[in-house]
Amino acid sequence: MIVNIKKNTMQYISKYTGFASLLMALLSLSTSSCKKDSYALPVASDKLQNQAIKRTLGPNIVGQQIEFAYAMAILPSKGKLASCTAEASIAGAPGTYMENRSFHTEQTGADVGDTVGLPSVTNGTTTTVTYTVDTSAATLRYYYVIPEAARGKTVTIKFTATSSDGESISTTMGPYTIAQMDMKLNMKVSNDNMMYISIADSTVYNAADAATHAASIDLVYLYRNRPNSAFNHALVAPAADTQYLPDVTLPTGVNRTAKLRKTFNLQDHNLAPNEQYGGIFIDDIDFQQLDLTGSPNYAINLKQDAGVWVETADGKYRAYIFFNSVSNSSGSAVISMKRYTLK
Amino acid sequence: MKKNITIALAILMAAVTWASCKKDAPVDEDGLLITTRRDCYVSNFELLGTDFVSVRVGSADIDTTQQTIKVTVQFGTDLKNLYPQFTLAQDCKLDPKITGLTDFSDTLNPRKWTVISGDRNIRKPYSVIVSVQP
Repeated sequence: MIVNIKKNTMQYISKYTGFASLLMALLSLSTSSCKKDSYALPVASDKLQNQAIKRTLGPNIVGQQIEFAYAMAILPSKGKLASCTAEASIAGAPGTYMENRSFHTEQTGADVGDTVGLPSVTNGTTTTVTYTVDTSAATLRYYYVIPEAARGKTVTIKFTATSSDGESISTTMGPYTIAQMDMKLNMKVSNDNMMYISIADSTVYNAADAATHAASIDLVYLYRNRPNSAFNHALVAPAADTQYLPDVTLPTGVNRTAKLRKTFNLQDHNLAPNEQYGGIFIDDIDFQQLDLTGSPNYAINLKQDAGVWVETADGKYRAYIFFNSVSNSSGSAVISMKRYTLK
Repeated sequence: MKKNITIALAILMAAVTWASCKKDAPVDEDGLLITTRRDCYVSNFELLGTDFVSVRVGSADIDTTQQTIKVTVQFGTDLKNLYPQFTLAQDCKLDPKITGLTDFSDTLNPRKWTVISGDRNIRKPYSVIVSVQP
């Protein structure tokens, strides 16, 4: 009996010794793999360095800015910054410039600029800032105003920095597609006055002016406070049933129709930059894919933050009209519009 | 000891075999569970415009005996482009399915949907009668 117990004990010891060895090996392996690597300070390159980012989001619309931040640096022992140039593939519209201040962000979150050079000089496609202070690092901002010539094309921006030791470095941003659509912000419309909207002209007319632009009037704005049904603010095509144009006498020749579709809370960030949830951008593709087949020629009961997709009778334009604000007491509204040309 | 292990293994095997042989719950052609419920009615109805805002004026009048839903919509509602929403008794389904904007403009010929009970044996067609607020 004692012999048997001893024999079994020996078998167990032999069996588990192998298991324990394996466990120890795994433990030691995991310990060594978790061992912290010794840290070595990275060695700064002794060459002129640069980096660029695009700061603006959303579609690139003619007349709007695209903002870049371009950073450049060189070891102080090697020299200082001499100049910074941005070269656009299509010359920017008037207003294109580069900041001559280098910005840094303070603890409060505010961006503070320190003047580092002369005001930028734009010559054709090139905008240049020449440094006037002894600095080895700076971040300059470049504001490219999108010109009409770039509509529907792509634009690239080549940034170049030079240093006092004769070095030069470049980085190219883009290509960026410039949208076909255009935009008109904050048009005031009011009952019985500025109430005739032309999408072709991106303008609001009163009755007298509408008569002279009759062929291009697409919509009539009106506000009605009906006791038994919700009419409120409305956009109605002149050719719509007269029940949707109560007490409206259209100027001579104003008789076009249109297709309209109501939407709500589509707060495009370009049209409503101050809206709380305005993180949406309507782009060319939204107009290209829009199908208003079977839509009516009126949209009533609109309010603030409502929007209307529109297609003109001649099929030339599609638009999105957003109600930035409304006033029931004065029967007026402020509207903004994105417009896409189809033909 | 060895005997106990053998018994435990045998029980485990039997349990696994039983579970794998258990009959699957029945599903219909849409992959929905067929249950024993025989309730078959519409409990609520909603109509949304293209802006996903309700166009109803008051509640929809649902008659489960006549199998009609009468609903009045706001003045100026575009009847050709509306999103209907049905709330059904538990486990029911709707035929035909609602896949998007629906045209209610033919008010003389109301649109019809059939409610199918959870056991898929009872079918009740409902007519949706839409009228526009004057």
